[in-house]
Amino acid sequence: MTTATIRRGSGLGFAMPAMLLLLAFFIIPVAGLLMRSVTEPEPGLQNYAALLGSATYAKVFFNTFFVAGLVTIVTMLIAFPVSWALAIMPSRWAAILFAVILLSMWTNLLARTYAWMVLLQQTGLINRSLMALGLIDQPLQLTNNLVGVTIGMVYIMLPFMILPLYGVIKKIDPAILQAAALCGATKAQALRRVLLPLAAPGLASGGLMVFVMSLGYFVTPSLLGGTANMMLPELIVQQVQSLVNWGMGGAAAFILLVVTLGLYALQLRFFEPKEGR
Amino acid sequence: MLLDFNKLGAWRWILGAICAAMALFLLLPIVFIVALSFGSSRWLIFPPPGWTLKWYEDLFADPRWIEAALTSAKIGLIVMVLSVVLGLLASFALVRGTFRGRAVLRAFFLTPMVLPVVIVAVALYAAFLRLGINGTLPGFVIAHLIVALPFAIITISGALETFDPAIEDAAVLCGASPWEARLRVTLPGIRHGLFSAAIFSFLISWDEVVLAIFMASPSLQTLPVKVWTTLRQDLTPVIAAASTLLVALTIILMILAALFRKGKSE
Repeated sequence: MTTATIRRGSGLGFAMPAMLLLLAFFIIPVAGLLMRSVTEPEPGLQNYAALLGSATYAKVFFNTFFVAGLVTIVTMLIAFPVSWALAIMPSRWAAILFAVILLSMWTNLLARTYAWMVLLQQTGLINRSLMALGLIDQPLQLTNNLVGVTIGMVYIMLPFMILPLYGVIKKIDPAILQAAALCGATKAQALRRVLLPLAAPGLASGGLMVFVMSLGYFVTPSLLGGTANMMLPELIVQQVQSLVNWGMGGAAAFILLVVTLGLYALQLRFFEPKEGR
Repeated sequence: MLLDFNKLGAWRWILGAICAAMALFLLLPIVFIVALSFGSSRWLIFPPPGWTLKWYEDLFADPRWIEAALTSAKIGLIVMVLSVVLGLLASFALVRGTFRGRAVLRAFFLTPMVLPVVIVAVALYAAFLRLGINGTLPGFVIAHLIVALPFAIITISGALETFDPAIEDAAVLCGASPWEARLRVTLPGIRHGLFSAAIFSFLISWDEVVLAIFMASPSLQTLPVKVWTTLRQDLTPVIAAASTLLVALTIILMILAALFRKGKSE
């Protein structure tokens, strides 16, 4: 008896419950929302014209991409040395550092954001410490602006960058770096010409993931960023919840969806290993 | 050279310092919140002038916090069970199925994870308003199940991939029915995957806030929604107490998951 005769059917039936759930409560609702962007208040593309044509919304788009880009760059700058160190440090230290990373990653998002709101406020620990050290005379404005969002978001995104990057660096053969040294490369040269290019796929893939996730974040930007730094997800919520303008909300959601899925497709196309099956 | 810790020389200290700084950065908010929750300052002065359990007393004296926590737990447990069951079935189809387009189906199953949760929240909110299940328990469960399921599928199909199907076939050849083989041979074989999927699914639902903000009604809200609404009014230390309890729960669940992973490797 072969495997094929033991199992009857193709197994597609097993996927049915999950497929039906996603169809009814994911695909149809999202499609419905997007439909409303071209049917409300009247059929046509006027919602998109309004979104893409006004300076107010242009600022929201700019903010969204700017914050996501800034968060991605800062996250990469911290994550690269840390992932590199994790890949080579004694395993006991690495285990401790991994535990810290996982703990922060799984700590409630609101709890973390609340902590940063308190830490960064005018009378918060950060301002008080800086003043006690004599570095500043007046408390700095650290919340409700770009500084607050960036700190809060980098905090959230670091694990998502470190974990994949660590995987890439760990797979690099140390002999290649030894070869670079034998050929006379200094440490700086070996870093710039050998290690960084070899780690580049991990940086690009992790960076793209952090960028996409940052584009769609709602909680942290709305609590730490303030209204002056509104991002696309906040605009969607504002349109739907406060203004009950489903047409505009749907249009903004569609734009966010297209950008997200486009970047995700890019990620799959270039960075995911092709499956052997 | 660069990938040999002992030959890094002075660079070793630079890398070590960066790692230490990042670990402090990651731990600071968590330690800070726990300290604040026991601090006596209403205005969150740090270090606190004294220590107190007042904020925990306030928290437990307020029936709305207790109710929200119970609602969260109830929704989390239902989502956990449904997510593992549906995830297990879908994983069987993806890993053992022979039909065409399994890779596409897998990508489809993972889309809710990729899409910004705010889009899913707004779309479901609109649909639930029409169906009249907004602000109800089923509404919450469905919304959280949509975002928890991809994690369950990744975890369980990962476990299933490493479980040799020949063992299941052997059971069938020895006279077990295909269902008996699946239930009594394969399921125990992938129990670590099932357990991780259960913990992840529960934690995702327990911590989820964006969908919950839209699903909540004045009479039904989860703990994160309660934190969110309180947080927008003022930064009271009661939130620090609630957050500390959330952190404690996360640590307990993480230790449980780690213990199970350890049990698997032995």
